[in-house]
Amino acid sequence: MISGEALPSEIIQKIRSGGQTELGMIYEEYRSEFLQWITKEYDCSLDDGKDMYQLTILIFYDNIKRGKLEHLVSSIKTYLFGIGKNLAKDNMRKEKKFIPINQEKWIKEYLIDEPQQNLDESIFSLAKKALEKLGQPCQRLIELFYYENKNMQEITDAMQYKNPETAKNQKCKCMARLRKLVDEEIQLNSTIAKNETY
Amino acid sequence: MKPTEHDITLMERYFDSELSVEEMATFSARLQHDQIFRSLVEREKIIIGAIRNQGLLDNLHYLKSVEEKIQGNHAHHSLAGIRTWYYYAAAAVVALLIAVKVLLPGQPTSEELFAEYFTPYQNVFEPTLRGTDMTTKRTEAFQAYETENYSRAALLFNELLAVKKEPEVLFLLGNTNLMLGQVSEARENFVTLINEFDDMDLQAKWYLSLCYLKSDDRENARKMLRELGETEISYASKAKELLEKVN
Repeated sequence: MISGEALPSEIIQKIRSGGQTELGMIYEEYRSEFLQWITKEYDCSLDDGKDMYQLTILIFYDNIKRGKLEHLVSSIKTYLFGIGKNLAKDNMRKEKKFIPINQEKWIKEYLIDEPQQNLDESIFSLAKKALEKLGQPCQRLIELFYYENKNMQEITDAMQYKNPETAKNQKCKCMARLRKLVDEEIQLNSTIAKNETY
Repeated sequence: MKPTEHDITLMERYFDSELSVEEMATFSARLQHDQIFRSLVEREKIIIGAIRNQGLLDNLHYLKSVEEKIQGNHAHHSLAGIRTWYYYAAAAVVALLIAVKVLLPGQPTSEELFAEYFTPYQNVFEPTLRGTDMTTKRTEAFQAYETENYSRAALLFNELLAVKKEPEVLFLLGNTNLMLGQVSEARENFVTLINEFDDMDLQAKWYLSLCYLKSDDRENARKMLRELGETEISYASKAKELLEKVN
């Protein structure tokens, strides 16, 4: 168990420096209580409740990784229930009743709604395709940096590079390759679009 | 007009939060007045958004696997309560099967494990494009590899290496040699790659462990797999799984 007698700040620190193991532990820790609460409160099925809980945990994890959540006055449980409540309300806003949430669509909208982000959706889709083509270990390396917010020393340890300079150098190369792949996807897409018009 | 190297460095340092106050001022001014620079920055935001999207999806899939495991455990517990007798009977059968498996010689050989785990690495370095003319030895080498003409690929990769040692060429030559059953050459290729380059250590170690396995050197294979299993890379789970079988 991740929490036990641990303080919220200790749990936050553990997640900040950890990875999927800590994510799984926190998921298991509050799962029963959350599912019991959300299925009762919003009269939704257990499966829909699980979908909401998974997104709740992802937001919690993301907030910690991005440094948006460093200290908590309340308990972790209260914070998670708060995220769940906002998610459920947001989901109900349009339909006036609880509808099953499309998790992948929700994640995309979550990223597009980030402050100072005006993501062009078509290029975003092409960038995702390019990322698939990038392959390993580049994918893992840039994910550790831009999603997990790991520093170069942590990346060096995780991926066994010789030193942080090598890791940094490798990250720059991977990003350069990814930019090139994105350009190629955009070009390919515009060629297809042109051919379709003729 | 294409962005310059300097533009790219400035942008990268902005996203990595490395700019000084003065550099930040330069960055903001460029962003306001330079259309090309602004497009470059906007594009980078989208790329980082796509990376974050992938990270979130990976973790979502991981949570789903955790959920499946929890459900599996619940199902197991409720069944155990109702059907205790059947459970013990099933357990006895499983124990018997395990005993038979242990007592009878059925453990996979190194060669069998190699065959199960070895697949040649895909050419992601210089994928050959359809309709492109084969003009250089390099293109021809990569194409021979892709079309599984390994004897030709080995010849050309060796010629390329004689001119210049490049990590991706060494790496694919190692794979080519493994395909041709030339294990000691392959081992040499991967060891050189690990010792002389930084780029592909982990992939090279995975294939080096397979070289050891192929030549039935289980001790060195174990060492290499143990090392890989402790990392956070995509080979880690595969390495752990194979290590168990080698043990």
